[in-house]
Amino acid sequence: MAGFLKRWIVGSLAVVWLALGGGQAAGAADFPTKPVEMTVLFGGTANTIAQVLSKLMTDKLGEPVVPVSRPGGGGAVGYAFVQGSRPDGYNIVWNSNSINTSYHTGKIPFDYSAFEPIAQVSKETPALAVPADKNWKTLGDMAKAVKAMKGTLKVGISGKGSFTHLTSAALFDAMGIGDKVRYISYGDGKAPIELLGGRIDAAIQWPGQFESYAAAGKLKVLAVTGKERVNLLPDVPTATEQGFDIDITMWRGLAAPKGTPANVIKTLQDAAKAATESPEFKSAAEKLGFTPAYLDAQAFGQEIAKDDTFYKKLLGSLSMTN
Amino acid sequence: METLYQAALLSLTPWAIGAVGLGTLIGIIFGSIPGLTFTVALALALPITFGMDTVPAIGLLLGTYIGGMTGGSVSAILLGIPGTPSAAATVMDGYPLTKQGRASIALGTAVIVSTLGGIFSLIVMMISVNLVSKVAIEFGPAEIFALVLFGMSTICGLSGSSMIKGLIAGTLGLMIMTVGIDEIDGVNRMTFGVVNMLQGVNLLVAMIGLFAIPFVIEVFARHARGEGEKNETRSLRVELPSLRLLGRNSWLITRCSAIGTVIGAIPGTGGAIAAFLAYDHARRFSKTPERFGRGAIEGVVAPKTANNAVTGGTLIPLLSLGIPGDPATAIVLAGLKIHGVTPGPSLFMNSESVVYGIYIAVVIAYVFILLIQLGGIRLFVYVLRIPQQLLAVIILVLCVIGAYTIRNSVFDIYTMAVVGVGAWVLLRVGIPTTPVILGMVLGPTLENEFRTAMSLSEGHWNIFYTSPVAMAFVGLAALVVVLQSFSELKLRRKAKFAEKSNA
Repeated sequence: MAGFLKRWIVGSLAVVWLALGGGQAAGAADFPTKPVEMTVLFGGTANTIAQVLSKLMTDKLGEPVVPVSRPGGGGAVGYAFVQGSRPDGYNIVWNSNSINTSYHTGKIPFDYSAFEPIAQVSKETPALAVPADKNWKTLGDMAKAVKAMKGTLKVGISGKGSFTHLTSAALFDAMGIGDKVRYISYGDGKAPIELLGGRIDAAIQWPGQFESYAAAGKLKVLAVTGKERVNLLPDVPTATEQGFDIDITMWRGLAAPKGTPANVIKTLQDAAKAATESPEFKSAAEKLGFTPAYLDAQAFGQEIAKDDTFYKKLLGSLSMTN
Repeated sequence: METLYQAALLSLTPWAIGAVGLGTLIGIIFGSIPGLTFTVALALALPITFGMDTVPAIGLLLGTYIGGMTGGSVSAILLGIPGTPSAAATVMDGYPLTKQGRASIALGTAVIVSTLGGIFSLIVMMISVNLVSKVAIEFGPAEIFALVLFGMSTICGLSGSSMIKGLIAGTLGLMIMTVGIDEIDGVNRMTFGVVNMLQGVNLLVAMIGLFAIPFVIEVFARHARGEGEKNETRSLRVELPSLRLLGRNSWLITRCSAIGTVIGAIPGTGGAIAAFLAYDHARRFSKTPERFGRGAIEGVVAPKTANNAVTGGTLIPLLSLGIPGDPATAIVLAGLKIHGVTPGPSLFMNSESVVYGIYIAVVIAYVFILLIQLGGIRLFVYVLRIPQQLLAVIILVLCVIGAYTIRNSVFDIYTMAVVGVGAWVLLRVGIPTTPVILGMVLGPTLENEFRTAMSLSEGHWNIFYTSPVAMAFVGLAALVVVLQSFSELKLRRKAKFAEKSNA
């Protein structure tokens, strides 16, 4: 009996040793050997892109990439989950500018440097819409009219500190009408009907939300805030084209906890690249209204760091930093 | 006519019909099992549709949505555990009916009136989508606030014996929902510096805790005391509601269909408020309001009709304005977009055949619902024959799984447990839990719309009293409160009188 027990203990210790030491060494060499969990922080478009992406990455990696939705806290809950997980590449996060804004508004106690960038995948460009009955054809018209008008311009945003709020603040500052604007917080997505109902004067939201209204002539889209025009609204000029120098887009990409081995990052980066450049991803992009925008890990890291400085300053000027 | 024919060709293929049927079945299963929710089912079904053609894909999603909305009443009636927040109103009379051994009649009635409500709202949508969406646009923050306030007033009718206890419960619901990030100013509230608290209390997680956990605790307690089960649930006859019963309620069905359609058409409201308003409406206009809460079939008819009339109603803002009414329709919206269908005003100009295809899919979904649910009653009722203590173990497991899967959060399991034990304590001291769920459903909308309205008007109250629509709803809410207070006083006087005459 004692002999059996001893053998059993030695045997199980060997198994544990293999699982811990041997397992990890092998894991880094041939990654992946089990499903990769991709934490998704938001619903809506973010979630749908993640689902498409994970399906395409699965084809490339040979192991399933599973999108797991961990919403809440403006992304804080999901970031905290992935940041606290083991840095072996099996837990990655579908991240966005929210890593910078969440940190600077005090939602999470760590910043972007708690993660290793894997790859940038997509970009979404906000658009500014006004009711069709306004006589503004360009941003210049709008700036002139707003400067001359009495009272304030009512601008719909998703919520204070949200991406649409920050974009609005930057754009209206560039137009020189920042002090004539009053922000009205709505939940996500209701801006188009508030514009139609005439309760607000302008709103910045995603092109996909305005597309149908613009086509029906019910709303006018004056500008997009990125450096390039967007496919959904090809006739809408950028703010830069109209002489107001801003470039704000919402990037999305993948990141892993700090300390994930470089070869694992490389494998994931290559899978993301193949997925992003596939025709399926491009067709989904056209329908959902985003732009595939692959950047490798290094370039993505620089982009995040650059953005971090920008949002720190912008949030500071809105006195929203923590 | 040409487009209708084209749409029929696309959506009446075996493949498309099968997709709707599959969706409906998934929806009913997830909706009817306590703990599992059909919002999760929709999220799981969405990636499956990526590889499908447009029409079957949309059919699958719509089937899941509609099946889930209907299926939520099954466990509400059989076990007193609603499968969706909007089925919570059905518990009030559906569960007492089961205790009287009339579960199959309640289930059958629920399915049939759900279908009637759903088809009614679909017809309204087909003939008046333009008009209704124009009206919906006029509903700004002030109007929606007033409507939700009116919805809150139905707490009076859900309180059972004491209005004060109902109000305590409703207020608890309102308070729970303030935990987390405040959407409007982006600040943390009552999170105590804990990251997981930032996600707040999810409505579905709390709903599972509120209804399922007290059930489980009660059953275990009874088993521990060595008490047998109540006999009524054992005497089961499978019988369907008679045509006479439906005929008697046809006017109620029509009114509740209208309530559901109107509420569904207003963005940002949804099924629960419609169901509660309809329930309150039925009770208030009944000649025998005292039967409500004790197993009145009208108490099942009203909320179920309105609940499913919402399905047609929500399609109006979804398709014509591109605005989802709740998390479930938000997933349907994502499904439409990924298949190249962009809801909004131009949808009706550019792709009419898709719109007709959606109408047809809704009708097919209801046909499947009738077939599956009426055929399944025998099976559903069989659940009651399982010894309750075993059933309670299964339900507990499902609740833990269900609470976790909503947001893949272990923290939510703890939340569910805390809410559940709290609900059990409330029930012990005689405070009803249904108003808690009402407070939770309406609380965030009530608060956010109020604050948005006040920021629109720069802090002036005139935004409320200059809007006739808002004033009408506020007036209705006040009327309900006054009427309820009077009848409460009358009851109390009667009770006193009875005491005196007894002595």
